[in-house]
Amino acid sequence: MKYLSQSALRAGAVGVAILAATGAVAQEKSVTIGLTADPSHLYPLAGEELSSNIMYYHLYDPLVKRSADLTFGPGLAESWENVDDTTWRFKLREGVTFHNGNAFTADDVVFTVNKARESIRPDLVANIAEIKAIDDLTVEITTPQPYAVLPNDLAEVLILDEEYTTETGDEQMDLKPMGTGPYMLEEWIKEEKLVLSAFDEYWAGAPKIKTVTFRPITNPATRTAALLTGEVDVIQDLAVRDVERVRNEEGFEVITRPSLLNVVLAMDTREKSPTIEGDNPMTDQRVREAIARAIDVDAINKIVMNGLATPSEQFVPASHTGYVDGMNFREMYPMDIEKSKELLAEAGYPDGFTMTLDATNNRYVNDAQIAQALASMLAKVGITLNLNIMPKSNFWGYIRVPTENSSFIMSGWDVPAGDAGSMYGALFYTRDKREGYGQVNRGSFSNAELDKLVDEADATPSLEKRDEILQEATKLLMAEIPMIPLHYEQDIYGVRDGVTLEPRTDKFIWAYDMDVE
Amino acid sequence: MLGYLLKRLIQMILVLWIVSVIVFMMMSFTGDPVFMVVPIDATDAEIAQARRLLGLDESLLVQYWKFISSLVQGDFGRSYVFRQPAMTLILERLPATVEMVLVAMVLAVIVAIPLGVYAGANPNGRISRTIMAGSLLGISLPGFWVGMVLIYLFAVHWGVFPSSGRGDTGEIFGLRISLLTLDGWHHIALPAITLSLATMAILLRMTRAGMMEVSRQDFMKFARAKGVTRKDVLYRHGLKNALIPVVTIFGLQLGDLIAFATITETIFSWPGMGKLLIDSIYRADRPVIVVYLMLVALIFVVINFLVDLVYTLIDPRITLK
Repeated sequence: MKYLSQSALRAGAVGVAILAATGAVAQEKSVTIGLTADPSHLYPLAGEELSSNIMYYHLYDPLVKRSADLTFGPGLAESWENVDDTTWRFKLREGVTFHNGNAFTADDVVFTVNKARESIRPDLVANIAEIKAIDDLTVEITTPQPYAVLPNDLAEVLILDEEYTTETGDEQMDLKPMGTGPYMLEEWIKEEKLVLSAFDEYWAGAPKIKTVTFRPITNPATRTAALLTGEVDVIQDLAVRDVERVRNEEGFEVITRPSLLNVVLAMDTREKSPTIEGDNPMTDQRVREAIARAIDVDAINKIVMNGLATPSEQFVPASHTGYVDGMNFREMYPMDIEKSKELLAEAGYPDGFTMTLDATNNRYVNDAQIAQALASMLAKVGITLNLNIMPKSNFWGYIRVPTENSSFIMSGWDVPAGDAGSMYGALFYTRDKREGYGQVNRGSFSNAELDKLVDEADATPSLEKRDEILQEATKLLMAEIPMIPLHYEQDIYGVRDGVTLEPRTDKFIWAYDMDVE
Repeated sequence: MLGYLLKRLIQMILVLWIVSVIVFMMMSFTGDPVFMVVPIDATDAEIAQARRLLGLDESLLVQYWKFISSLVQGDFGRSYVFRQPAMTLILERLPATVEMVLVAMVLAVIVAIPLGVYAGANPNGRISRTIMAGSLLGISLPGFWVGMVLIYLFAVHWGVFPSSGRGDTGEIFGLRISLLTLDGWHHIALPAITLSLATMAILLRMTRAGMMEVSRQDFMKFARAKGVTRKDVLYRHGLKNALIPVVTIFGLQLGDLIAFATITETIFSWPGMGKLLIDSIYRADRPVIVVYLMLVALIFVVINFLVDLVYTLIDPRITLK
């Protein structure tokens, strides 16, 4: 590592010079992180995508904080309670200031929620009917109906400074962010680097690491190289093919963690499906089971994913409400070609049928290769898959609900709110029956029992009761198979020795909890 | 000359207009930008609100009309993703691309012209044949592969150059320039070499071909017979006459490199405008793509014009009409 030692020498020389000039200065901790992309925004109401989200949470705080393992606890709100089934009262933290010195008050919370409604992200506050400030440090929120997981949703609402935001204007907020978060923006040279400096008056204590530099390095091979040359201390999304290389290199470490992102296959259940001639076989539950049994998830994991995926047991991970202990899709429908052919014959399709699979080639890890593997697996039971693979910028519009193009879709789903309810409501609820529900029900699945369970869960103020109801829904979905869960992607980080990094389930790199030697 | 300038100007405006129409129409096939900014479980109402906020709720024709009429007033539109003016986004990144391309071009010329003259003057020598074989490699090896190999060897293995990024920059007239600092030169070296190889090889081969052609002509022999030194014959008489096609290619390559430095920029995380283009295509960010391509078309037109001017300087027999 000659480059490393050279730059270390140079840094040392500069350090000595500064020391000589200014007297003793304590060594301040800093870290450089290689990201897959430059953030698009620093204004939380402007759009959402991972690199921007990472910055939002460094600069701003929500009322409720989501921890690394998806538990929810106090943030800018110290505590909260239910006044009645639809009213919540949040007690705000005292003595919190924004980076510009403005005090944080209830008015800022009310302002932020109302601001979100008019922005591109009204979904953030969709479950809030009304919000008002009771006094400087208390806000009251009402929901249209009992909604047990409101605090979870609030973890994504980042609080803006009313005075500053109004003065600065939305468009400038990207360049001049102002929050209560542990870090302040120091410098942002687009596509080159984004530098954050510690906010020493942070309410939870001054950050250990004083300077955090994020560098966007799009090319995965270059990202690995930048780690190995010591230009960055941490990289996000270490390429699957470089994992062994980095593991074998002295002074470096690979850290992995199963992510929340469940890669799934949605099956069309309408009578007629756009890419299938004649009647749609997938209306028959036996055919859906036959498809599930034709897919060897372990083989995909081993061959396509280099073992770096976790086959999914259900639609949501174990940390979520609605997860049923001990239930496993793989054990319910293990791969079995003979059984699959039998089921198809029983359903009246002994020779299989032909349809198209829509998939992306730049959204999920090795997505196009997974699609190819699926085609060869389903061919063995007589189902011919034509592959329709496209970049994600075309994909989301193409598979838009009600889908006019698709019969069989590979996509991914994650629920950072830690609750199966919103996912089931969006993916499996009968479409056009209730506003805001079934909006991504790509298979047009419709089941009165499921709809009832989701309604019931949403009207239940108790979290334990909600969990029970959603477990019923999970059991129902596992039996009906409107969708096949494949695997959770693995988040892979490369770090140099001496860096402490605990990856979060939501993929946010969180410098406040990091440490460097 | 004035007539010629006017003709070129009208041509240029026509080209830019056609580019804007083609790009704008093509954009409607490359994905819907709304889905790049809303969450995937957005409801119809939320999608409609986003569409309205981005100004995408009108027909393509109306969108184009709005785009072109504000363009005439000097407003190039705003990026859907970054919400900043598209032109600002591009101009912020232009210096990084231009400086990398210039270093690459200078490098290409410095290496290619003398080697080309040498190879043309001694077509059968062993050194010439080595040079030509090398140039063939330069043309046929893909840029991204060369870039990766250079990173592996010079950054990871030997550790003499950094693998990515732009390093320290100096400031001049408000522009941030890498070439003003040692660290900047340290960072620009690998990407510039990668970018220059193909151009270097092409210029070298053109120069050689031109020299061989010229060497056979009588005035060369006559000059030598008159007692002009071999070096002067080659560089003063020969090169000058061999240069016309080389200048044409140089112009085309220069435009090419500015427009398509994309791959090199991506590999070396060089924060230039090529990378912006790729990101914008991924995110269906129409205003940025349109303005970018129009700017590139403009660069091509201007360079072609300059090439024509250079012809008249090299060969007084050529006039612009």
